[in-house]
Amino acid sequence: MSSRIKTLFALHLLLMVYSTSGILSKLAAGVDFLSWQFVGLYAGIIALLGVYAIGWQQILRRMPLTSAFSNKAVTIVWGIVWGALFFSEPITVSKVAGAALIIAGVVLFAHADGEGPDVGAEGADDAGSSGAAASQGASRDENALLGADGVIIDG
Amino acid sequence: MDNSLVLYSGILLLGTFISAVSQVILKRAAQKTYPSKLAEYLNFPVIFAYTLFVATTLMCIIAYRVVPLSFGPVLESTSYLYVTIFGVLIFKERITKKKLLALALILAGIAIYATGV
Repeated sequence: MSSRIKTLFALHLLLMVYSTSGILSKLAAGVDFLSWQFVGLYAGIIALLGVYAIGWQQILRRMPLTSAFSNKAVTIVWGIVWGALFFSEPITVSKVAGAALIIAGVVLFAHADGEGPDVGAEGADDAGSSGAAASQGASRDENALLGADGVIIDG
Repeated sequence: MDNSLVLYSGILLLGTFISAVSQVILKRAAQKTYPSKLAEYLNFPVIFAYTLFVATTLMCIIAYRVVPLSFGPVLESTSYLYVTIFGVLIFKERITKKKLLALALILAGIAIYATGV
């Protein structure tokens, strides 16, 4: 298995694990505030966010931000899957159509951000490994707002 | 969508917005130089930003009392809109046509999804 595929697999494993924090949030919503169950679930949410923050940084060392961010859209699919599996939320045509549009938008957004001379992420995608590593550092800095956003959003 | 769903969705949207604000504070803090590694974290803006972040996780839990789990990540994708607005207003980033189209797709997707909730 090439390192690129391994990184992609690790990213998707990370995003799946991260998406389960939504399940804990939804469960926490159903118990008394500051009860033992609430505290346990909330500790789980914070722990998952911590794992995600560390994992995301590791992924960005090995993959351009644009690619990582495009794949992040999959958390919408996990939300639908977990909702259906654990909370019997129906999957409807309008939900699937809406989710598909959002995912297309996120992928386009991530790649639009890689455009222009001030950001190196798009170039890193096509460049060789040494070039990718160099421009990745730059893109991470330029896109700090976008990148950090990925770490924090959701709870 | 009934009234309570609209209200609790609003809480989640507000949480997403506050989370984006905390990102801006963290980014601005990251642009400064500090005398020590410890000072990078133990300063008012960074601590305030993380306090905001903790508040948003609690808002998320409150919102999930009514909001379906699958609708959460959908509403949170509004973060791309906030990130773009802050990027332009505060960090003087450029906005491309592609990005505007992407935001239009995301917002249209949220609207279509919402009709099915």
